[in-house]
Amino acid sequence: MKKRKKKLSKSDLDLSVIMKSKQKAENKNLNLKNPLITASGTCGNGKELADFYDINQLGAFTTKGITVEAQPGNKTPRIAETSAGIINSIGLENPGVENFIREILPETENYTLPILANISGYSEQDFISLAEKLEGREELAGIEVNLSCPNIKGGGMVFGTDPEKVFEITKKVREVYSGYIIVKLTPNITDIIETALAAEKAGADAVAMINTLSAMKIDIDQQKPLLANTFGGLSGPAVRPVAVKMVYQTYEKIGIPILGLGGVRSGSDLIEFMLAGATAVGIGTVNMIDPMAGPRIIGEIKEYMLKHQIPDLSSIIGAAH
Amino acid sequence: MFKIIANNEVGPGIFQLILNYDQLPQKPKPGQFFNIKVSQSGSDDPLLRRPFSIFDFDAAEKKIEFIYRVVGKGTKILSKLEKETELDVLGPLGTPFSLNENKGNVHLIGGGMGIAPLYYLAKKLKSSKQKVYLGAANQAELNFFEEKFKGLGVELHLAAMEEKLEIRGSALVLWLNYLEKNTPDYVYTCGPEKMLAAVEKEALKNNIGGQLSVEKRMGCGIGVCLSCSCETREEDQKNKRACVEGPVFGLGEVILSA
Repeated sequence: MKKRKKKLSKSDLDLSVIMKSKQKAENKNLNLKNPLITASGTCGNGKELADFYDINQLGAFTTKGITVEAQPGNKTPRIAETSAGIINSIGLENPGVENFIREILPETENYTLPILANISGYSEQDFISLAEKLEGREELAGIEVNLSCPNIKGGGMVFGTDPEKVFEITKKVREVYSGYIIVKLTPNITDIIETALAAEKAGADAVAMINTLSAMKIDIDQQKPLLANTFGGLSGPAVRPVAVKMVYQTYEKIGIPILGLGGVRSGSDLIEFMLAGATAVGIGTVNMIDPMAGPRIIGEIKEYMLKHQIPDLSSIIGAAH
Repeated sequence: MFKIIANNEVGPGIFQLILNYDQLPQKPKPGQFFNIKVSQSGSDDPLLRRPFSIFDFDAAEKKIEFIYRVVGKGTKILSKLEKETELDVLGPLGTPFSLNENKGNVHLIGGGMGIAPLYYLAKKLKSSKQKVYLGAANQAELNFFEEKFKGLGVELHLAAMEEKLEIRGSALVLWLNYLEKNTPDYVYTCGPEKMLAAVEKEALKNNIGGQLSVEKRMGCGIGVCLSCSCETREEDQKNKRACVEGPVFGLGEVILSA
């Protein structure tokens, strides 16, 4: 490498990262102009955040989770606050895949960034049907297979805690979907490496970790669980150290890229995930508090790169190992 | 940028917060709210913003006023903030009251802190035929509101649960007492959900149109998290978000827990 004489300036910085595809062909890779990806369910379907900034600045965008049929979601209250975190139990409220294709996908027409559709199911067949329906949709760069939703009964997380189920569903989804596949994993498990390996073996292009941690809050005045659904999923800064550790561990064992997420609210948090081994990093809860978090964090990444004289952001992936 | 110019206790545990602003993305309308970050200097506790409906707005003076009650950690922190403190504030957010239908005899019914959004509404309605029915726990909680509404020159009726004012009871009971001999053409209401449901039921039974403002536990306030979804009576059963399609809804539009 040529030795740099002059100090890096903002225009020298390369924030792009490549989420490599397991399908070998280069055109199957997910090329991101920066590692920032909005997490499903924290950014609506784009237009809510687009009121605040041009979301094309982001690396990629993940839509709110969809299911085969429309879902009304859980009863309210659906959200509880804890120290440095929130517990949600939305219950996958969404208009169903048909309406998603008819109404939501056309709205993404003006976006130039890669869009990922998050899919959830109550059965193995649901995941296959969803992947089939989304196969060939040019609006999408890929799908995020949510094998980890803690807030629906008899689905999601139940599959995500069993490596064999993760393998089976991923394999079947791979057979019918030719775009980029990210499998989203649950941390509510003894060893997340096992499910990550199962996803990799079955043909997932990448894994996303972590979904929320199973949690609850009790209203001490009412002496009852606060959430209508009793249990929910904990997210926000409180879970970040858990997520960083799981990314770090998994990075050493798998050969596919990791989309790391859990409590990121600043550029430093995002850098921490990349150092642990994440190629891309999700921002979730922070969008709810600070709708401008996306562009702010991108600015903070650049400051870090200048401070440490790093021209190429992808060079720090896994650097903490 | 928003700066606190007043944060005073105007009733037992009830505070008046007046903010000065540089600029707003749009002019706030009655029924809309602002989402305020109460934790200071990068603290994560509490993490979420707190939504407050607009009590009053003065474009010339660049002032927005809120009335809030200290109920939990967030409002407790807010109540301790001093003059000149800068606040991170998002808004105005949400769908406002529609003022187009204020023909004829209009009743405003407010219970507890649900009174807060009705003041700016009453100011904007500018109708001489407004009648305002307010209820709270006691007179001390109503003093501030009483003075403000009297200043608008509207007909004002007060009730309290703990002591006899015009009656001893809720704003709802107070309003129902007048309903028969003085039927309104239109109602606006805000307060506990049970009260809203009862006002809605009576109004619809008497073919009176109106709007209500709901208070729901919110996450983001900008429509992304779906924490504040309200079930609707619409055919497709599509939910509506209190933070975007609400907090103001037409009578009968969303399903209230009675």
